[in-house]
Amino acid sequence: MSVTLVAVLFVAAGLTALGAFIAAWKRDLTGALTGIPVMFAGAGVAFVGVARFGASSGAPLLGQEMAVLLAIAALSAVGLGIGLAGPEGSR
Amino acid sequence: MDSLHAIGFYVSAALAGAGGLFLAFTDSRQRRAVALGLVGLGVAGIDLALSAGFTALVVLICYAGCALLAMRPDHRFLEQAASGPWRQAGAVGAALLLAVLAYAAFRGNFAHATFNGGPFGSVAVGRLLFAHDALATEAVGGLVLASLVGAAGAWRRERPRDERGEGRR
Repeated sequence: MSVTLVAVLFVAAGLTALGAFIAAWKRDLTGALTGIPVMFAGAGVAFVGVARFGASSGAPLLGQEMAVLLAIAALSAVGLGIGLAGPEGSR
Repeated sequence: MDSLHAIGFYVSAALAGAGGLFLAFTDSRQRRAVALGLVGLGVAGIDLALSAGFTALVVLICYAGCALLAMRPDHRFLEQAASGPWRQAGAVGAALLLAVLAYAAFRGNFAHATFNGGPFGSVAVGRLLFAHDALATEAVGGLVLASLVGAAGAWRRERPRDERGEGRR
């Protein structure tokens, strides 16, 4: 049993598509917002996979750095979305 | 990559996928938070199996934060303006996206390189973040600051006036 870049990219594709599905399918907007971290997770996994298996030149850990930044951006997006939704019963 | 890492990778991928599916089809806030936590745990496991320990740690913290935010019981339910057919079109679009990405992954002719990094790599990633790509790090720091200020401002503005007065007393 081994892991290849193709397997990693398959998982990344699945997570990205699942995140897009959640964002499109959820009726509640704050629920749809939770699709963003899943999509970003897919992108992050792809970056980490390329850094692990395919980075032949340049900084080899650039993909890991991008995954870190994507995770932080996902947290910010969810925080901003929940804040903009506002507390219950305010309108 | 040895068998243990490979097993870890596939188990984590299954966990992330199951968490994502659970997230897609649940409506309860608590269950949504659990599902988001499962996705974070799965992605952190994938990162750990791919020798990206520092990334796994950051992912775990960020997704735990996302889960805690999603679990809040007091945020408003806002219904999407898009009607049923548009949401169904979006779901079909997501399926098409999966097909295109999976085809690209399957047909891609990727170069293979030897990985020289360690299992954790915090020093190398930190050097990249704060020396090589400091501008990108600052941009994300600015994004975090703007989103925190925006969220706090919006939340405070939306609270009823009498509730704010009670908080002050």
